[in-house]
Amino acid sequence: MSPAPPREPATHRQAPGVARRRENLPGYLFLSPWLLGLAVITAIPMLLSLYLSFTNYDVLTPLTEAEWVGWDNYRRMFTDDPSYWHSVRVTVTFALVAVPLKLAAALGVALLLNRVFRGVGLFRGLFYLPSLLGGSVALAIVWVSMFNRDGAFNSLLGVFGIEGAPWVNDPKWALETLMLLAIWQFGAPMIIFLAGLKQVPAELYEAASVDGAGAWRQFVHITLPMLSPVIFFNLVLETINGFQGFTSAFVISNGEGGPVDSTLMYTLNLYINGFVRLDMGYASAMAWVFLLAIGLITVVLFRTGRFWVHYSDSEGR
Amino acid sequence: MLRTQLRRRRLLAAALTVPLLLGAAACGGDDDAGDGKVELSIFWWGAENRAQLTEKALDLYTSKHPDVTFKKTWQANQGYFDKLATLTAGGNAPDIFQIDDNYIAEYATRNVTLDLTPYQQSGKVDTSKFPEGLWKYGVVDGKLAGLSFGENTQGLVYNKTLLAKHKLPEPTIGMSWDDLISWAANVSKVTKVPGTQDPSATYQAFWVWIRQQGKDLYNGKELGFTEQDVTAWFDLWKKAREQGATPTPDVIHEGNVTDISKQLVVTGKAATSWVWANQMPELKKNTADELGVVSYPGDPSAQWARASMYFSVFRGSKHKDAAVDVLNFLANDPEAGKILGTDRGLPSNLDIRKEVAATTTDPAMKASIAVEDQLVPKFGPAPAVPLPGHSKVKTELVKAAEEVQYGRQAPAQAAAAYVAAAKAAIGQG
Repeated sequence: MSPAPPREPATHRQAPGVARRRENLPGYLFLSPWLLGLAVITAIPMLLSLYLSFTNYDVLTPLTEAEWVGWDNYRRMFTDDPSYWHSVRVTVTFALVAVPLKLAAALGVALLLNRVFRGVGLFRGLFYLPSLLGGSVALAIVWVSMFNRDGAFNSLLGVFGIEGAPWVNDPKWALETLMLLAIWQFGAPMIIFLAGLKQVPAELYEAASVDGAGAWRQFVHITLPMLSPVIFFNLVLETINGFQGFTSAFVISNGEGGPVDSTLMYTLNLYINGFVRLDMGYASAMAWVFLLAIGLITVVLFRTGRFWVHYSDSEGR
Repeated sequence: MLRTQLRRRRLLAAALTVPLLLGAAACGGDDDAGDGKVELSIFWWGAENRAQLTEKALDLYTSKHPDVTFKKTWQANQGYFDKLATLTAGGNAPDIFQIDDNYIAEYATRNVTLDLTPYQQSGKVDTSKFPEGLWKYGVVDGKLAGLSFGENTQGLVYNKTLLAKHKLPEPTIGMSWDDLISWAANVSKVTKVPGTQDPSATYQAFWVWIRQQGKDLYNGKELGFTEQDVTAWFDLWKKAREQGATPTPDVIHEGNVTDISKQLVVTGKAATSWVWANQMPELKKNTADELGVVSYPGDPSAQWARASMYFSVFRGSKHKDAAVDVLNFLANDPEAGKILGTDRGLPSNLDIRKEVAATTTDPAMKASIAVEDQLVPKFGPAPAVPLPGHSKVKTELVKAAEEVQYGRQAPAQAAAAYVAAAKAAIGQG
């Protein structure tokens, strides 16, 4: 992403490579706090956790005394820990349902808000608001009180004579309640969709309507292809986000993944193993498998993206 | 020429920026005063009230020992042990920290806690006024890992106001489990409030019950109970649910969280909750109703004087002797004892306990003291401190019990899964 360095004047006596390096030096120096942060806060701990994933590190025993256990943690994870696979199932279910619905909601509302009408700015703000509150703890607490047996949601259902479930306290519905919370926070992808929609040239629609294409055909043949890079971007981002869902599951289940493990998301399971059971070696192994899995999913998305993502500025690709 | 100058200026700017940024991050380091003054870090969990009392008691210590000051940190129970573990991992464990029987074995077996035995022998830690079982409940593998800072025992807390309004009898010490369940079923019928929280997920209730069967939660380094025991326990409460003695599963689940303010007896969703006797005052704060407390059902000799929590000293502390002296002061000084009251449980020191009991004005505190006074002569011997892995043994019980409560598994099936998971948790082959 680094911008191309300016060309050295041809009259310069130094070799171009050296000159460029000297030219870049201030850049790197300015970057150095960030680079240092990357190394100290991200890279070194990550490498350390890779090492720990092959040990029985238990947090309380000094790092230096952690015993090397080889692939033990990984073997246990895949063959001997039902709760591991359970949390994988919960997480995949969550992502498979919540991500597409969230994107659909974001796109739908973005299409509505792309029109020009009085007060559109206010509506954009209102729809964006929930995602500002984001993964906040307060919001999850509100969710709990809205979606329990005596919650506001059931009172609303009661008006129509429907008797609701205890939602967050019902293993059948707890995860769905979490999904709803995630979907409701569609503001961020919505804003990006809106920006994307503004980029679609109006001539295309004009030409299409002259040719007699209706709203649906315009949507399918103009809006969607023109928007595909933005859809792709949102899809990748939201998928990664979806898999990493933690805060709401933690708050709703009081950090335990209940009722009966119905909200035991992968990251929550990882946290419980690492910090509650002090099995940090195992938790590190879980983290690395998770990283690889998300990496793999992202690669797959990029690969499939070739077939449906249309970049208008890269003619002939 | 101009270019080079510009470049130089940019370099200079960059060179200046870096230390500025780094400097900002480095503010607030540690400085060690080398003049005999000691600052001890101390860390506990609890509510606002506990913080005030503890700070006051520590200030009293400082007023008597001006060289010793404290860096006090406290927070709610949730997240406390994450923080403590992280601090320990970084080698920055507080000099003094509060801990409970869920974790003391984890910390002691990994040599995080200082063995207080030598101090006890030299009299620097005085446990002579403690009930013997109480200080022994801090011994892990022959080492005194923590000093008990309060005695409590299982307490069945019930809503007095509700029962009085409907002229219903109160539960009594020593009533059988079946009696309690029929009593609760009757309460549900009359008051329309479920008679009792279903305690099948509550480990300390299961613990009392299993001790009444002549067994224990742990036997040496192994589980002290079998699948059949757990099945019988789950069956007992399945029957209770069928009689309408307990709330619906989702409400039981609400009550299964450890948060004291959400216990069903204070949220009005059940007439009784299964808690610890010393939690009475804290429960009372969350309800306008009068509360009463008795022992869990069955023979009360299955209950014991449990250390509600301990203070331990970090083995890597630079000021071990000073830290130990603070512990001894907080536990045995009459003035400090008066300040701390029964917030952490009944004072361990029996002289102080007597004095606090005589002077307290808080009715909830009085009630919890009264029930313990009644039970103390009936207490059985204390079990050994729970094994490392205990926290998982606890959470797995919640899971298994809820599987049964929600009707997703039969008692025997959930019991089998539970015993397997609990064995794995404590590393029993």
